Amino acid sequence: MPPAANAVAPGFTLPRVGAGSVTLADLLRTGPAAVMFVTEDCPTCELALRRLGAAGADLAVVCEADPAAAARLAQRTGFAGPMLCEPAPYETSRAYGLEAVPTTVAIAADGAVTAAVVGWDAPALSELLGIDLPADPPLRKPGCAAKSTYDAAQLAADAAGSDDDPEAMYELGWTDGLPTIAPTPQRVAAMLAGRDPAHSLGPVPPGMGEATLERVAACAVLAGCRPEHFAIVAAAAEAMLEPAYNLHGQAVTTQPAGQIAVVNGPVRATAGLNAGMGALGPGTRANLTIGRALRLLVSLTGEGMPGRLDRSTLGQAGKVGVCIAEDETRSPWPPLHVEHGFAAGTSVVTMLAGDAPLTISEHRSRTPEALAAALGWAAATLWSPNWFPIGAATLFVICPEHADTLAAGGWSKADVREAIWHAVRRPAGELRHGEFPDRVERAPDAELIPKWDSPADIVLIVAGGEAGRFSAVYGPCVGMDWKPVSLEVRCDT
Amino acid sequence: MRYVSPYDPAVSAPVQPAPRPDALAGRTVALLDISKNRGKEFLDRIEARLRDHGAEVERYAKPLFSRPASGELVERIAGRAELCIEALAD
Repeated sequence: MPPAANAVAPGFTLPRVGAGSVTLADLLRTGPAAVMFVTEDCPTCELALRRLGAAGADLAVVCEADPAAAARLAQRTGFAGPMLCEPAPYETSRAYGLEAVPTTVAIAADGAVTAAVVGWDAPALSELLGIDLPADPPLRKPGCAAKSTYDAAQLAADAAGSDDDPEAMYELGWTDGLPTIAPTPQRVAAMLAGRDPAHSLGPVPPGMGEATLERVAACAVLAGCRPEHFAIVAAAAEAMLEPAYNLHGQAVTTQPAGQIAVVNGPVRATAGLNAGMGALGPGTRANLTIGRALRLLVSLTGEGMPGRLDRSTLGQAGKVGVCIAEDETRSPWPPLHVEHGFAAGTSVVTMLAGDAPLTISEHRSRTPEALAAALGWAAATLWSPNWFPIGAATLFVICPEHADTLAAGGWSKADVREAIWHAVRRPAGELRHGEFPDRVERAPDAELIPKWDSPADIVLIVAGGEAGRFSAVYGPCVGMDWKPVSLEVRCDT
Repeated sequence: MRYVSPYDPAVSAPVQPAPRPDALAGRTVALLDISKNRGKEFLDRIEARLRDHGAEVERYAKPLFSRPASGELVERIAGRAELCIEALAD
């Protein structure tokens, strides 16, 4: 309770925003004084400061905050009177028995409390301060809990949420190195859009933190996602946690493996994904933030932070996150999710594991055979030049002009895969240099060893701008026993 | 202001390693081959050195380095050995 009338007002010495410090005795030197306690993030306190400042009220304000936050509050509300500040542990507020803010205490020149008003109460404050506040609504409004009432856990959470969100995120370590958006309860609730925050997708390797939807949503907020992106993030997170994907191996390896999300179906449009010019980035929020949210889930919830449980020797920029939309309209072939057995109208995310993309420029090949061979041979040194077969799914992103050339004459995706696979084979005897698999060791010199175990390891999607014969291939994460995993993106849950 | 943490507080506590033993004589040491290249050669040498110090040595292996050891394997090792060394070779 605030001090009763006639009680002795506790003395204080507090920093004043912009100039030195102020004591209670300073305030009483010229007669009675009024002191109003506020916090920075209380709407009623802001209302009170705006109205009292406009009315020219003569009072000192004690803000339960650090000097920077108190200064910002004064600036935001236009309050020009003395603004004192009291960072944690709020000894002065405690001495005044503060329970709520705003609380205004009138003090006589001899230091005795004459009256106190809790909350915004225009008539009572008019009387206490000897001014005429306008009768604009609201005349009365309750405030917020004083920070001096917080328990240890609330104080810790409050300390974590400083007034500078991006810097606070860095201080907490909730980042991949780039600035992140603070996951406030309001933003996380908007991201969840009614989904059960406690619903768990399972433990996230390598640290095995539980991926509740609330934590997945927090990662999505941190990454900069919009709520319309979250259905993809949630489905992709679920796909990553399938045992077949072996996220554990990808997350801790010395390889530069990142997680690659390929999105198909109508959700590409509703999420605003770019499958056209510059499809592999940068430039489009959905592509960049969805991939980043998935990686933050691994680094934060899964505790696979680079340099700690993530032991990647070099890393690569794609480990910040990769999300690619297939251009199903421009592709001459059935899209990836249809190949994986989904209906064309279903939204699907497919998770792959891969290295940074290698661009393949090929402007001269005019036959499907020549182009398939060029694409394949460009990929022949992935992982290591003599590592045949590579032993993992390899994602080729075929640009529209290349797709046209490959589809000419009726080539299907299966034909393209077969042609690439068939083109890139080398005699075992030529591969026995440096690092090579056991199969090369055992094979006769003349045996042709393919770069991929089978054509099925060659994954093809179409994306990119109309002009330019540049495709790309993502070298796979190798030796980790992972498989691509596709899951439906359900926008109604 | 409060933020929603992306972390699971249940797993954030650091795990403390077991105290280092004063001597190896008479102790049972588990050597776990995670199936990385040349892990066996590495553990062969470690086994010989441990036996020189009077330790009992038991060898274990998990089928694939990139997946965690099964709970059953961890329990088996914990039930028999006082110390464990993992081979992470390449």
